[in-house]
Amino acid sequence: MYFEIKDLQVYYRAIHALKGISLTVNKGEIVALIGGNGAGKSSTLNSISGLVQGQSGVITYKDEVITGLPTDMIVKKGIIQVPEGRHIFPKLTVQENLEMGAFLNDNKAQVEEDMEHVYQLFPRMRERRTQPGGTLSGGEQQMLAIGRGLMGHPDLMLLDEPSMGLAPILVEQIFDIIFDINQTGTSILLVEQNAQMALAIADRGYVLETGEIVVSGTGQELLNDPKVQAAYLGGESEQEKLQKGDYYF
Amino acid sequence: MMKTILSKSSKFGIVAGIILIFCEMINLTSTLAEILEKLFTGGTAAKNAITPFYMGLVVGLIVFFTTINFLRTRNSQKKYSFGQGFFAAVTISIVSGLLISLLNIILGSYLVNGKDVRVYLEALAPDVIRAFLFQTDIQKAVTYYFMSTILGSMAALILFWISQKTNQPAKSVRALTHLKEKIQIGRAFERYPAVKTVLILLLIIAFLLLPLVINAYTISVLGIVLIYAIMGLGLNLIVGLSGQLVFGYVAFFALGAYTFGLLTAPKPFGIEMNFWLALLVSLIVAGIGGFLVGLPIMNLRGDYLAIVTLGFAEIVRILINSNLMADYTGGPQGIKNIGQPIQPSIFEKYFGEPLEDNVWFLYLIIFVFLIVLYAAFRLQYSRTGRSWEAMREDETVAQACGVTTSSYKVLAIVIGAAIAGAAGALYASRNTYTGPSEYAFMVSVNALAVVVVGGMGSIPGTLLGAFIIKGLPELLRDLENYRMVVFGALLIVMMIIRPEGIWPVKRRKLSVAPESIEILKEDLKP
Repeated sequence: MYFEIKDLQVYYRAIHALKGISLTVNKGEIVALIGGNGAGKSSTLNSISGLVQGQSGVITYKDEVITGLPTDMIVKKGIIQVPEGRHIFPKLTVQENLEMGAFLNDNKAQVEEDMEHVYQLFPRMRERRTQPGGTLSGGEQQMLAIGRGLMGHPDLMLLDEPSMGLAPILVEQIFDIIFDINQTGTSILLVEQNAQMALAIADRGYVLETGEIVVSGTGQELLNDPKVQAAYLGGESEQEKLQKGDYYF
Repeated sequence: MMKTILSKSSKFGIVAGIILIFCEMINLTSTLAEILEKLFTGGTAAKNAITPFYMGLVVGLIVFFTTINFLRTRNSQKKYSFGQGFFAAVTISIVSGLLISLLNIILGSYLVNGKDVRVYLEALAPDVIRAFLFQTDIQKAVTYYFMSTILGSMAALILFWISQKTNQPAKSVRALTHLKEKIQIGRAFERYPAVKTVLILLLIIAFLLLPLVINAYTISVLGIVLIYAIMGLGLNLIVGLSGQLVFGYVAFFALGAYTFGLLTAPKPFGIEMNFWLALLVSLIVAGIGGFLVGLPIMNLRGDYLAIVTLGFAEIVRILINSNLMADYTGGPQGIKNIGQPIQPSIFEKYFGEPLEDNVWFLYLIIFVFLIVLYAAFRLQYSRTGRSWEAMREDETVAQACGVTTSSYKVLAIVIGAAIAGAAGALYASRNTYTGPSEYAFMVSVNALAVVVVGGMGSIPGTLLGAFIIKGLPELLRDLENYRMVVFGALLIVMMIIRPEGIWPVKRRKLSVAPESIEILKEDLKP
């Protein structure tokens, strides 16, 4: 198994954020994890990358248990998280932001090559490389965040709501880029509220609700699932849902 | 319209009046007048016989600035017409004149009745009140006050009007920027890196020759400024670069000073260690102190460090002052006869005779300062410095990038503390004495002010900050007791004009490979 989470539980003091979730990612897949606010999507990603320590459960990556390892060890193994909300370093320049992504890479030539690769993927970044990250527009900041993730040579990339707060046309661009990244062999675990877009490019998907996985299947299956449609894709009107009485929570 | 102008301008008038009254009650007005008189007449002003003209000038100036401020407030959206401006200026001058006259009528009648106001207001001796009354009687003084306020506000109005008509300030600003573009110092540096090196070398040489030409007082001020600059550089690493707030920085300063003192003084231990070795040990001890403070909080976020270090500083200060430790630290008496380094014979060879002790010690401080400066530059632009900055910007992302934030946090504190320890050792050796009263909370505040005023995270800013925080009060000696008031006001003004500090950080220009530029040009083609 390439990547697997088994029965992961996370508490924040008294709040039971993740109530034992299990999921798998196969090599080269895009897996979408969708769910509303507070469903535990970010907690899942944070506990994979070691920013949050789970209370129980096992995470294995390439047949190796990575539960409880410090973040830098996990980053070294090639699991790279792109945090939500376009977290970039606002006062560092674009280039410095990208360099931070390669923090654990000591090979200078390699870093420059990667930088060139990122600049080819996002020409806008090259244009703005001496500009502080905070002066970029929202879409550019998201590109920078993804570019910084790429600088770390991800084998498995954890993307936390890359479409958050972006205009529809930018969302499409970002998803195109995610698809391209996946085509080059990087596996992707994508957390999204924008279920439509996420499931459209995903091989498989999981629906997370209040800390539990309630539905799983291929991207297409989930897109066609009436319950998922009702809850996340706006398939039926509120009125109809109330009449039918199968409000999906 | 007129009504709003009336209410707004009378508010400004009240503010001007309150400033006037406050300045008069603490006797700042007459001090300022005295300085102005000294400035214009060449230092012949008698302390208690200020010429009424200068008193009026100070009053007028205060009203002048208030009026200018009033006229500027609406400048951006809608300009006042001349009539409206005139109306406002008159209102301001009458309101402020009324307030200040009222105070002087009261003070004057006290004086006439032979009562001493000093019971209530310490600063106001009869002579001073006479100066405030323009050395005449009350009625005339009131007329003079109104004259000064009206002249002040009218001068403001006219100046503002002229500047509006001719667009003078905009023109001068444009000329300035134009000049800047013309000179393009930065560009010249980029093109000829040798120019920069030569300039820096010249600056260092001038700096090195300085101690030989200045007098003893300036030497002592410069010494303090440089010691604070060293501290500032250390604190800048913690606060400016790694983004952790440290309130009790003085603790590490004290640790260094006392370690040095104990190692080199004949009492209580009589070790009398070599200067350089002792300096090294105090640096290490302060670093260990930093490590111990940093350890429990390295996994916490937020302002815990500020509170913990604040507590630590108090513990250190109380301990060195206490009876418990008196056998080692000398208690309130401190440690005396702390060792000073022996002057190397090189100086004697070059100058024919040994340098004076204070000159030689200043060289020593400069030497340590340059080392710390070099280390600070190297650290800032190293991998470590970069990860500190990333941590300051966004701790979570820094961690997600693979920075082990907890150890980098502690590292910043340890290095910063060690630098403070070195500064403390120098300070103790310079004074040949160290006592608990020197490590009050105020030292921490000053060190923090050095960093913040100069511009957080900026090394040149920190140096400038040290000169402003420790040097400026010395330059303001003429103002005697009011220098701290003026100093505070200056700090407020500075932070309003330049909220990011006087010399904020500028991201370093990145060198870009030529082929990369070619690719960029390709990318930018439509």
